[in-house]
Formats: sequence, C-alpha cells, structure tokens
Amino acid sequence: MNAKLPVRIALKSMTMAGMLIVLCGCWDIRDINHRALPIAMGLENKEGIYRIHLLIPQNTQSSSSVRIVSDKGSTINEIIDRISKDLELEVDLMHLKVIVFDRTFAERGLGDSVSSFMRSRDIASKTIAAISDESIGSLFQTLKSTSTTGGLEIYNFFEKNAGWSPQLAQTRIWQIFQSLHSFTKDVAVPIIKSGESTTMTSTGSAVIKNGKMVGRITPEETLLFNAFNGLSAQGKIEVMNHAAVVIDTDRLSHHSSVKGGRAVLNSRINLKVTVLETKGSPTTAMVKQELEQLLTQNFERMFARLQAEGADILGVGQFFRNRIPRDRLANWRTDYYPRMKLNLTFHTVIEDEGLLKMKP
Amino acid sequence: MDKSMQVIAVYLLSHIGLIFFMYPTDIIESLSVGHWCAILLGFACHVAVIAIYTKGLSYFKSQSIIDIFAGAGKALAWILLLPVSLYFLMMLILTVRAYAEIVTIIFLDSTPLWAVMALFLAVAGLISFMGVEAMFRTGLLAAILFFPLLLFVLSVSFQNADWHYLYPIMDKRSASFSFVLERPYLLSFFAFAGGFLFLGFIPPYVPYKRRAVLWTTPVLLPFFFVSVYVPLLTFGRNTAVQFQFPFIMAVDTADISWLMFDRVTMFFMITVICFALLFISLVMWKTTLMIRRVLPFVRPDLASLLLAAVVFVICLQIPNWKMVERLFWWNTYLRLYVVAVIPLTTLVLGIRRRRKGAAGI
Repeated sequence: MNAKLPVRIALKSMTMAGMLIVLCGCWDIRDINHRALPIAMGLENKEGIYRIHLLIPQNTQSSSSVRIVSDKGSTINEIIDRISKDLELEVDLMHLKVIVFDRTFAERGLGDSVSSFMRSRDIASKTIAAISDESIGSLFQTLKSTSTTGGLEIYNFFEKNAGWSPQLAQTRIWQIFQSLHSFTKDVAVPIIKSGESTTMTSTGSAVIKNGKMVGRITPEETLLFNAFNGLSAQGKIEVMNHAAVVIDTDRLSHHSSVKGGRAVLNSRINLKVTVLETKGSPTTAMVKQELEQLLTQNFERMFARLQAEGADILGVGQFFRNRIPRDRLANWRTDYYPRMKLNLTFHTVIEDEGLLKMKP
Repeated sequence: MDKSMQVIAVYLLSHIGLIFFMYPTDIIESLSVGHWCAILLGFACHVAVIAIYTKGLSYFKSQSIIDIFAGAGKALAWILLLPVSLYFLMMLILTVRAYAEIVTIIFLDSTPLWAVMALFLAVAGLISFMGVEAMFRTGLLAAILFFPLLLFVLSVSFQNADWHYLYPIMDKRSASFSFVLERPYLLSFFAFAGGFLFLGFIPPYVPYKRRAVLWTTPVLLPFFFVSVYVPLLTFGRNTAVQFQFPFIMAVDTADISWLMFDRVTMFFMITVICFALLFISLVMWKTTLMIRRVLPFVRPDLASLLLAAVVFVICLQIPNWKMVERLFWWNTYLRLYVVAVIPLTTLVLGIRRRRKGAAGI
C-alpha cells in the first residue's frame, strides 16, 4: 500500500497539471496590447461593395492619437478579417461604440448589415447607430485631426451622461433591428456631419422605416420626438419671439380609441418650464400661450409628414395594441397609420421665472 | 437533522440554471399572444407533479426511490427505472452539449467545444464524486454567492421594457390551449421536468421537510415569467422570435453607464452556468447511484469517471446545433413518461403501503 502511494500522488498531480493546461480557458488568447479596439466604424456601400472605416484610438502613456484604417470588400466580416491580417494588431470589435452609416446606403436599406451585426457575437447590440451627411472618409478625417482625447469625441457626443442633448436622437443597433420586424415601431437615427467650430454637429434625424431611410426631421423636431417618447426634454431651450425657456420635466398621458375603423389617439403632454431669457417684456401668460401654440404647430407639421412617409417613429401604434387585433395590427403602417388622428395638447406650467420677476 | 434549506437552495438553483436559455425560445415560438397562459399551465403541472411525488415519498420514511421501487418487485423496478436512467443519461449529454454550445456562441468563441465540455464534466464529475452532502452544501454556498448578482441582472434587464407589449392579453389560440400538444410547447417542459426527480433520491442522505419544498415552488414562478416577458417587452414578439436565446439578447441591450463593466450579460452567464454545473453534477450523482445499484462491484469514483467519459464521447459525436435540437425532441417522449409515470407510481405504492400497514395493525 505504502509503495503505491508515491505513484498515486504522481498520477494525481499529473492529472491536475494536465487539467491546468487544458482547462484554464486561455485559448488563442491575445493580449490587450495586441488588440486594436476601434471606437467607431463607418460603413459605406457602393454597388454592393462595402467600404469600412475604423477609428482606432491609440493611447500611450504620454500621448493619445487616432488612427483610421479602411478597406473594402463584399462582406463586412471579410473586410474586418483583411484589416486584421494587414494590421499588426488583431481587430476586436467588442468595444465598438458607434457605427456610422453612409446616407445613400441608409436610403437603400440597412436591413442586411444590421441583421449581420445582430447575428455576430463580437459586435454589441447596444452599439449606437448614426448616419453621416457627408462622406465617411472626410468625417473621420475631421474626427482624427481635431481629436484631443484619442477619438472619444464621437462616443461622448452620443452618450447620455456626456455630450448628449435632447435635440439628438439616440438609437441603438437592436432598435433598428426591431424596426425591421416590428409592426408598429420605427426609429429615428441621428444624422451627423463635421462641424465648423466643433468636431461634429447634428443636422437632424433620419426617419428609418423597416431599415430604410425614408425622410428626415430637424433637430427641433427631434426634440419633440424625444419629448413624446418621454425621453425627457430636460434642460432644453425653446426659442420663441419673446422668450427662451428650459423644459424641466415632461409627463405624458395617452388615450387611444378606434372609431369607425379609424385610429384616434388623444395625447396630452404636460411640460414644466422655466424662463431663461426674454425679449422686451412679455407676460407669463403670453409666454405660456405662445409656447403651447408653437409646440402644437411644430408637432402637427412633423406628424403630418411622418404619416405621409408611413413611418411610425413615435411608436403610436403601440397604444393600439389592446384596441386592434394582432392580425390587423400587422398592417398598421398601411391601413391605420396614414389615416389616424392624433389630438395632441400641450399643457405647460411655467414653474418659475428665474431670478428676475415677470409680469403675470 | 433537517436540511430543508440546502434542498430548497439546490431545487431553486438547478431550475434557474435551466430556465433562461431554451425555455423562453420555446414559449415565444409556441404562441404569439398571451404567453402567460403557457407559463402558468406548465407551472401548474410542475407544482402538481411535485406535490404528488413528495406525497408518495412521504409514505416511506427516508427511503430513496430506488429502494421503494425495488421493494415493490424487481421487474417493476427495472421497468420503471430503466427509462429514468436513460432519461438522465440523455439529459446529461444534452445539457453538457447545449451549454457548451451556448458558452461558445455567447462568449468563448475561440475556445474549442471539447475543452468547454471537458471543463463542465470535470467540475461536475468532481462535485458529484465528493458525495451528495458536499453537493448540497455547495448549493447553499452558490445560492448565497450568486443570488444577489442574479437579482441585480434580472432587475436591470427591464431597462428597455415597453409595457405596451403586454397587450393583447390573450387570443383564441392561447385561451383554447390549442398550443399544448405542439412541438415547441412540449419542448418547453424540460425546464419544469428536468430537476425535480432528485427529491426522491436524497431522503436517506439529506432529510428535508416536504412542506418546505412545496412552499418554495412559487418562488420559481417569477423567474419563468421574467425569462419570457423581458425579451417580449423589450423587442416585441415579432422580433424576439428571431433570436436563438431571446433572454440573453434582452440583457445585452441593457446599458448602465455607472457600472464599470460593459456587459452585464457576463455576470448573468457565469451565474447561470454555475447553477447549470450544479444541476449536471446532481444528475451525474443520481445516475451513478443507479449504475451502482445494478453493478454493485464498481467503485464509486470509477463509476462517475466512466459516466463522465461516456457522456464526453457521446457529446463529441453530436455535430451541430440542429442535432442537439433533434435530440431534445426525442428526449421529450422520455421526459413526458418520467413526469407522468414516476410520481404517480410513487403515490400509488405509498398508498398501498399505508393500507397494508393499517391492515397489519
């Protein structure tokens, strides 16, 4: 028995050592300094040929710079593979934050590429989507030349806890994918281009219906869109003839009904605002009235256009899920949405007038 | 000594380990509206079966199901327990293979499948070899360590929920239960039926109170609901049905800026895989118990080693996910048999024994 003991110990330790080699999970591992971690990807498509631009921050201890790599090919994965091969680093898209699509590409439809992003395991479904109003090459060049933080600007521009403002839509890849399959939901994707004094500027939002860009709305309309989605318009400025105000809170209530085959939605948006600036000496009643009038007008104009385009970016169809049976809701975009009636009332409360008094 | 706490922990963990991957896929596929009907029906069956099973067991004082059936006659024991052991073997193969595939799909994409399977079997085999008491203590420890994390991830997963997707509440198809005999729904039963049989194997080793387990069953219900409704509320049925693992996709959309980790999915995956490992080791232990009953001369360590080797080799023979799905479907017949026959027989044997006992006095 005792003679066998060393053999058993040796056997056991060999098994353990073997397991350590096989099961440690370090399979084909690449160290972090051998990986390129792009922060933004630009995607163009001309006659079926994709062109991909990758914006890769390069931070060393003393400096931070940006590198742009681009290549073209017939599938996205093929291009990424080729870039990985040509680069001295392995491209790792795990931490990709923003995907910028070319506008003409978006107009022809993003369906296939968005589906492949959803299918692939290395691009996160919560990556932010944007559409570029200028060629992606020149947008990325501007990003590179003006960058001081290693290319983080484009990410911070969209991030809610950094540079995001309510005039900017925020849409993620999974939401575009959802609009491909949903009966009642479309999305608005922010349109960006390089700015004059800032790195970037937003020129509104693209209206995406079933993965295709069918129209656009202005930044002011995007604010209303965000307010309608309860993505509170907090801290936003609305300029009128007599005053500028900042919206503190917005609360919504909706009531949907179907009358004679026509969908009717009564919505009420309660806004609490604070006065920021005045021109001349308007009374609070005037400011309140003008604000409500302006918002209603703008909203109705935007909604009429969206109805004509048949794109339900406000997701109003969602309010009819319990009114219209599912098989008929499948035709929401064609049968109900263009004829639907939206009665929107803005109800504003001027919470305070800042530190100066105003006439009531 | 009463060890109900440990039994409850293992009961919860082994079921939670099974719920979150294939179960939502099957339920979302089987219905377009009113998924709660499907969940509640399945859950009612689950509770009923456990009640019958434990009631039957309660007639026998700390006897395992193998002893009970063997006491009723050798032929009966063979007829009843052979399908059960076959079912366990299938369950082992499927769970190991499916979870290895899930792990490679979701996060270890460059690790070969066999290495992940070997890891699963090595860990699960070791736990089961350590004995059932150790396993149940591990269960309690895993529950204490991972439950807070799991609850955090589950609450975060509601971030993108759009509650309008709850409507319509139900339609003709869900109200008439016409989906019940269809393939996706029958498949979904593995989440209900996989784990509960262990309650009949442990009485000689880990005593527990029947009522404690029965009172815990409702705790599982929210998990079933969350696993199906989070993807439905986030994506809507039409989009959710496109996904291989809808719940994982829904957790992936959660974006928490204050958390230093980018993907909460990782926490979730690791938690659930830990639970699944516990489940695998539990099934391994049950299977070796039965093997050793038939072949008493096999040493316990050799038995679990052999079992792990057999499972590993069979797992390697399964070429793709389609095959896994087909095996899942074949296993459904065995599963329905196990769910229906074993608890009922236990109850019948129990009642018969009590009558005999009463007649004897």
